Order: sequence, then structure tokens, then C-alpha cells
Amino acid sequence: MKQIWSVIRREYVERVKTRAFILSTLGMPLLMIGIMAIVGFVAVLSEQSERQIVLVDQSGQLGERVRQALEQAGYEVELAAAGVDLENLDQQVLDEELEAYIVLDDTTASEAVFAYRGKEPPGSVRSQLMRAAVVEEIVDLRLGEMEDGDSVRRLLDGGALEYEPVGLDEEEAEEAEAERITGMITGIAGGLILYIMMLAYGAQTLQSVLEEKQSRVVELVISSLRPWQLMLGKIVGVGAVGLTQVAIWIACVALLAGLALPSLIAAASDFEELAQFRQYLPGPGAVLLLVVFFLLGYFLYSSLFAAVGAMCRNLQEAGQTQAPLIILIIVPFMLQMMTFQGNTMPWMNWVALFPFFSPIMMYPRAVMGDVPAWMVAASIVLMALTVWGAAWVAGRIYKVGILSQGNRPSPRELLRWIREA
Amino acid sequence: MTQNGTVVRLSGVRKTFGTHTAVDDFDLAIEPGTIYGLLGPNGSGKTTTIRMMMGILLPDGGAVELFGGPPDFDRRSRVGYLPEERGVYEKMKVLDQLVFFGEIRGVARSLARSRAEKWLERLGLSEWSSKKVQALSKGMQQKVQFISTVLHDPELLILDEPFSGLDPINQDVLEEIVLEESARGKTILFSTHLMEQAERLCERVCLISRARKVLDDDLKELKRRERSGVVAVEFDGEAPAVATWPGVSEVEEAGDAFHLSLHDGVRPEKILAEVVAAGVSLRRFELLEPRLHEIFVRHAGEPAEDDAPLRTGGAS
Repeated sequence: MKQIWSVIRREYVERVKTRAFILSTLGMPLLMIGIMAIVGFVAVLSEQSERQIVLVDQSGQLGERVRQALEQAGYEVELAAAGVDLENLDQQVLDEELEAYIVLDDTTASEAVFAYRGKEPPGSVRSQLMRAAVVEEIVDLRLGEMEDGDSVRRLLDGGALEYEPVGLDEEEAEEAEAERITGMITGIAGGLILYIMMLAYGAQTLQSVLEEKQSRVVELVISSLRPWQLMLGKIVGVGAVGLTQVAIWIACVALLAGLALPSLIAAASDFEELAQFRQYLPGPGAVLLLVVFFLLGYFLYSSLFAAVGAMCRNLQEAGQTQAPLIILIIVPFMLQMMTFQGNTMPWMNWVALFPFFSPIMMYPRAVMGDVPAWMVAASIVLMALTVWGAAWVAGRIYKVGILSQGNRPSPRELLRWIREA
Repeated sequence: MTQNGTVVRLSGVRKTFGTHTAVDDFDLAIEPGTIYGLLGPNGSGKTTTIRMMMGILLPDGGAVELFGGPPDFDRRSRVGYLPEERGVYEKMKVLDQLVFFGEIRGVARSLARSRAEKWLERLGLSEWSSKKVQALSKGMQQKVQFISTVLHDPELLILDEPFSGLDPINQDVLEEIVLEESARGKTILFSTHLMEQAERLCERVCLISRARKVLDDDLKELKRRERSGVVAVEFDGEAPAVATWPGVSEVEEAGDAFHLSLHDGVRPEKILAEVVAAGVSLRRFELLEPRLHEIFVRHAGEPAEDDAPLRTGGAS
């Protein structure tokens, strides 16, 4: 037992110390935040660089209103006289004295279509701001002229589906709705985490086994340890690294939700809607279930990945041999993506019972409440049995494989390994 | 240290890889406290034999015993094994690696650390202890690996080609350590294809050729028995006509000396009598002992390098 602990520690410490781990752990959230910040920053910056605009009103009724709206949006607007020479303005644009100008005509008054004339198309921020300002003004104007303007406005706002819960009071209904959204978020995030962990850290187990075999250091280790102890230590060690990474990511999210968000809201009330985000964080039950599915799924796949590593002589060979395992992980992920997109097919719940698919397919169903509890329990039992069987097979392949420097075994030889180990 | 009875015993051991027989009908018994040399050319079956002792390979026939029982896990943990393949964790730091190997062999972490530091100093590697193993030369890596072999203070050292790849100075250091460990009561088995090394170190040797045991004897006893019946004589001044002396079958000049081959049954004292009779002054008179190399050649043919590819691995 102490020896397994040494293997776990070695595997963990040596991996956590690597640059790759530190970069991928801290880099991923930083990268995402960074990319979002840069995109937003650049967009705003480019919009601030040139805010002067000339407005030509040929409709004779919109000019002043649109000018006010645009000025509210932050532009410096010069309202040109109706009879201004457009060719002259075009020349100014070509000479780069003017970036662009806006033309409002009769079509604008009737259909809220207006022209933006410039050498280059408006950026996404600019076109959003301008369209909002101009279109809103015109819709307002036109609705004001109509008798039943107010009701048309409500129609335009898209109407609403008002859910009226039967047998629940309003408060309970709100809770149920929040729970559903929580389940959805937890299910998607959890499924993604399981997918990444099984794929990335399963592959790392394979690599670790292969490295020891290739460098022949395994011969030295195996004279002091039983093969299954080495394999178990390795799987646990690599898995602990994975859990560390996920824990750091979750801590980042929690930090964001607990600290960064309130201060952001305090600073700028525009972000108030984001506060709702906090109420959708998963409860301890969902997290516990995630851990259970993670442990079972990770053990299932990483023991098989370890067996593949022991079978092969180099990474190229391993790349081919691991293909069936990769497919077993990717297929449920794709099926699950279909489910998330709203294609609910009841028979898929039965597919989710297949132990190799369960982590990615059953966990989201469980937290979203799509399947009865007995199905979740059944899938956990099935997975546990499969883990036991896979570990038994993998342990035997591993035991023979790590000391064999010969060719990759054929399926028949593999069976012989399993029988005779 | 309590070492009673045979440390390693192989009886009728056989191992084949496909159609190739790596070890055939092999008997071996190593008594406690001996330095035992397993000699033979590359590909003769030394490594396969050692791997069977360590339970890495299972014999196809016969029995392997370690400390009086099968080479199971507990018995193997009393052995310090240096495999022929120099495997190391290249990316680990030297000291971390040694502590790890100590730990998996049941040495407490702190003890493993202090022992490792002592050994590193002894082998001149102290300043490398916090470097990654991959920064070390092959020879240094081999010394690190040797340390990991002895860190848990095992009763039996099984060293597969421990000297190959080391420069002469480090070979001497390692020889010294082997002798020291032996003096501390350890049993040592090492394989080598370098006969001179074996000649210097071993108390007992086993010669393997083409998967079979050719000789297995006490080295002194072996040399006495294999004595070639050659006498070397060297004279001051004019040499007498040694070729005409009775009992001499052949004369070979070796520098100033003459190597006289004697007829069967002729005792060396007879030559001494001839020297006295000839009235010449003698500078050297020596019964030539056969070199291990010659003995080997006599029994097994030329110990050619690489006469068969070394087969490693296979299902166990």
C-alpha cells in the first residue's frame, strides 16, 4: 500500500510540476478571458476613433429626431441641409476628409432602411449602435401616427409565452424553472468536463505507461512492485492531476461568481442581469454525482488506455491502437450534443445505459431530471461492473505487455495474454 | 544478516522464444557470501537466466528458487537488481528518482534520502543531485541506476553487465564497491562478457555458451585443474638450449622469457633440476596459470561478440 502511494505521489508531483500542466490549467481560463477582453476592447476602441458623422435628411421629417438619437448614442452629428450636393460629400469621403455619412430618404421614413456611405463598411459596434438609434426613432414615429400604436408595439416586442403552472404556486414554479436551468448548465458543463478528462487524462495514462516501457525503467520498478500496484498507482496519480485541474477551474468560476461579479455589478449596474448567474450554480448533490461518474468513467477508460500503452512499442503504434477507445468517448459526446440541441429521443435514455457511454450521456440526464432515479442507479451499477471487468482484463494485458518488447499482439495473442497472465 | 542455505538455485531450467532456445537444461546454485560470475558471450543466455531469477520471465521447464522458494514478490524485495537495460526516469531529478526507488522497495522516505545522498557523494555525483537525469551522461546515469539497486541494502545483488559502458576509473570504483559489499556479507551475482573483470572479482564462475552451461566451478580450483602445464623461465645472461631438455615438448619465446610446454606427467620440478644442472642464473620461474579467456575458449570455442542477437522480452 505504501508503495502504491509512492507511485501515486511520483506520478502526481512529476506531472503537476511540468510546464504543460501549469500552462493548460492557468492558461485556459486566462486565454478565454483574455480573448473576450481583447475582442471587446478592440471593438470599442475602433468605434471611439472616429465618431463624427454627417447626416443628410432627404425625407424632410426625420433629420432632427435622428440627430438627437445618434447624439445620445455618442456621435457628433452634423446635420446637412436637404439640398446638399451628395457628389461633393462623396468626394470628401474619397479625400478622407470625412469617414462616412448617412442618408435618410423617403424609404427610410416608410421602411426604416437607410444608407451608410463610406469607403469601408461600418464595424459591428457602429452598425449596431446606428441601426438601433435610427430604426427605433422611425418605428416610434410611425407608431405614434397610428391609432392602435401601443398594441402594435407590444406585438413587435415579440409577445410572450406566460407559463401558468397547474398545481404549483408562483414561487414553486419559479424554483422549478431555476432548477431546470441549473440542471441544463450543470449537465452541459459536467458532460464537457467528463469528456475532456476521459480523453485527455486517459491519453496521459497511456503515455505514462508507454514511457516507462520504452525507457525500460519498468523492469526496475516491477522488480519491487506488483504490476497491478504500478498500474493502479499510475491511474490514480494521473487522475489526481486531472481532478486538480478541474478543481482549479471550478475555483476560478466560484471566485468569479462570488467576488468578481458582485463588485462588477456594484461598479456598473448594466451587469445586473449577470447576478442571476449565481442562482444557477449546481448544488452539492450534482457535484457529488459528477465525482461518482468521473471516478467510474475515468477508471474505466484509463485502465484500458494503460493496457493499450502496455501493448504498444511506440506512440505511433499506440495512436492506432487507441482509436476504438477514442471512438467510444467521442460517439456519446456527439449524441449528447444532439440532445442538448433539443432533439430529445426517449430511446436515447436506454443508449445512455451502455456503460461506456454512461459518463457523458447519463450524467447530464440525471442532473436535468430527464431519467428516473432507478435508471441512474442502474447505470452506476453497470458501470461499476464494467470497471471491474475492464480492470481485470487491462491488468492482465498490462502485466504481460510492459515487459514484452516484441510486436504488438494480434487479437489472438491478446486473448492468450489475458488467459495466461 | 542471516543467510542460511542456497541463495539462488536453478534446476533444469529451460526457456525458449519461439524456435530459439535461450537457456537449456541449466543448473546453478549460489551459496551465501560468494561473488559469482555469470560469463559468456552476448546472446548466450545470461540475461534470460537473470530475468528468470527475478521472476520477470517464467521458465518453460525446470525450477527457479530464490532464498529457498519461488521468486515471489517478498523474496524479490531482498534482491538488488540492476537490469541490463539502463532504464531511468529521464525527466526526474536524480535525488527524487533515487528516493522513489528506495520508497517502492520499502525504505522510509527520509532514510532513502540520506542514503541516496551518501551514495551520490561516494560516486562523485553530489553536485548533480538536483539535476534532471537526462542532463547526465550515460555513464553517470548508470551510476545512478546502480545506486538505486543498492539503496535498500539488499542481501543479494544481481547485476547484469554492471561494468559495460563505464570508463576504467568508474569500473574500478564499482569493483571496489562490489568487493566492499561482499565483505559486508552480501552475495553478489554479476554477468559479464569481460573475462578479465571476472578474473579479478569472482570467487566462482559459471560459463555459458549457446544457452548451455559449460563450466561451473570455484575460480582457483578451476585454474588449478585447467593448469596448462606451461612453465615460464627467464635467465640472466646466455640462455641454455631449453628445447633439448628432457620433458619439454615445445618452446615458445615470449620476449626474454621462454614458455616451455611439458610432456604429460612431467613435473615442473624436473625443469628446475635442469636449470640447476645447466648452471645458468635464473631470473624468473613460474607455473603459468591459464587465463579465464583461454579456459573459456578451450571449453566453448571463441567467445565471439554478438554471435547471436540477444532475445529480450516475450510473454511471461
